[in-house]
Amino acid sequence: MMKTFKTEVSRRNQLAGLLPLAGFVTAAFALPFVLSGNRYLAFVAGVTLIHVLWACGMNLLYGYTGLMPLMFAGIAGISAYSVVGLTAAGWSFWLALPLGALAASVTGTILGLPSLRLKGFYFTLCSLVIQTVITLGFVYFSGLTNGDTGISQIPLPSAWHGKPLSGLSYDLVLSAASVFGVAVLIAIVRSTLGRRLIAIREDDELAAMLGINVTGYKMIAFFIGSLFAGIGGALYAPYIGFISPRSFDVLVSLNIWLMVAFGGRGTIWGPVIGAALLAPLSFLLQEYYTVKDVLYGALIIAVIVLMPAGIAGGFGRAPRVPTPEIDMRAQRRSPK
Amino acid sequence: MSYVLLEARAVSKRYGGVDALKNIDLVQYRGETLGMIGPNGSGKTTFVNVITGHTRPNGGVISFDGVPLAGRNPFQIAKAGLTRTYQAVRVFGELTVRENVETALVDARDPAGPETVDEIADWLRIAHRYGVRAGGLTLMEQRQLELLMRLVQQPKLMMLDEPVGGLSSSEVRTMIGLLSELKSRCTIFVIEHTMKVIRELADKVVVLMAGEKLAEGPPADILADQRVIDRYLGTADA
Repeated sequence: MMKTFKTEVSRRNQLAGLLPLAGFVTAAFALPFVLSGNRYLAFVAGVTLIHVLWACGMNLLYGYTGLMPLMFAGIAGISAYSVVGLTAAGWSFWLALPLGALAASVTGTILGLPSLRLKGFYFTLCSLVIQTVITLGFVYFSGLTNGDTGISQIPLPSAWHGKPLSGLSYDLVLSAASVFGVAVLIAIVRSTLGRRLIAIREDDELAAMLGINVTGYKMIAFFIGSLFAGIGGALYAPYIGFISPRSFDVLVSLNIWLMVAFGGRGTIWGPVIGAALLAPLSFLLQEYYTVKDVLYGALIIAVIVLMPAGIAGGFGRAPRVPTPEIDMRAQRRSPK
Repeated sequence: MSYVLLEARAVSKRYGGVDALKNIDLVQYRGETLGMIGPNGSGKTTFVNVITGHTRPNGGVISFDGVPLAGRNPFQIAKAGLTRTYQAVRVFGELTVRENVETALVDARDPAGPETVDEIADWLRIAHRYGVRAGGLTLMEQRQLELLMRLVQQPKLMMLDEPVGGLSSSEVRTMIGLLSELKSRCTIFVIEHTMKVIRELADKVVVLMAGEKLAEGPPADILADQRVIDRYLGTADA
């Protein structure tokens, strides 16, 4: 046991910590090449990589900050609709993407502002209401969103050489986006920002007592998480080629949440594994659509019962031992 | 000893029709250990909650180190150098001792360097537990960790809410020893039911009774005060 506060992390250990990231980078960039022969599988892989990015954003909020934002898909949707609208108005996709993502996370943060003072279940309820309002907004402002019909035949972004970005090159952009998501999450978790967010998740009152601006840092986390949602949404729309209010409703939020919970909240790699397993599942089970929801439901129950901490948390994780409650009653002296 | 660190003037707090605190006046000087005693429900913890910003008072003025605290959030008050512990011990149970300390250093008013952290941890006899999950520590060790997390922030005033609550009698002796040495590190405000703690530590004692200040003075006088004996202590040899 180390008896000093500062631990000397050797250079070798530091590098070893980055080994999984190197593995992920290799896998993410190799996958489009490996699957380039089969366009359908490559497409499934591309959608999965977008979900890895989304899962990282959700993990930052749900896994590390302790917020369960059910408006996550709605924020992605705001970004998707903005980017589609801007490109239709003649903007370059590469300019519209950061702007749309930023607009979505600013909107999301403003909408979320009143709820960020809430915690736990109450925040979740409030975010559900916000998600519903966003979905209704997508339907209501049909001049911009084409309402329930949705927008189809979304043009592909143009690549550097002027031709549309398609096939393998688009897949590689998605690889880069997912790698970016994981790398940013690792950087945040290792920084003092990560320390603060974990403290807020564990006990926000104690965190405030130690000088941490709880509401302020929740807002920062929410902004960054929304940015992940927004970038994913902007990349999603032209890749699929079709968006509608259904593409970004509460079920999508729940699906992303499930990837995080299933994989292991509050771990870097759990939600990545969760996304990699669950995102393709809905495609692979398409032929068995009658039992698909049953399988999903069974999976949720199995995870909750067998692995409450998720796959990365493992079966072996010791049950949480609550700190002893000792609110001692006063020992009133009785007269002798 | 003439420098006023904490000053409360006519502080009141009502819950519904109940006066939890009624016009409490209190002055604590730098370096002076102030003990607060009183029966359950007399308003001691409410007083600490009001001072540290957890509860907004209905009236009164509080100033800390010459600065009024009105309208400040708990994190701002903590950053001004006023820290507290809780009646029920409170640490980040899922994190290791080291991570707990790191969290305390992030937004500290004056974060201690690693050598100072080690020095404080050695003194609190908790240094050998750095790698252990805080939730797996004994109650005494969690109390020691609480003190460590506060001290690495180098606060000006530490408010302790029943620091020996739930400890065994030998642990109580150890804790009293630690607290009397703690006096040289920062100013202490202590709520206690154990008169031994008050007798050995406090320079001045304030007695609360149903939200009102019943008496104030040196411990020897207070523990001999007939009103305090009749209404709270019960016996003169408490």
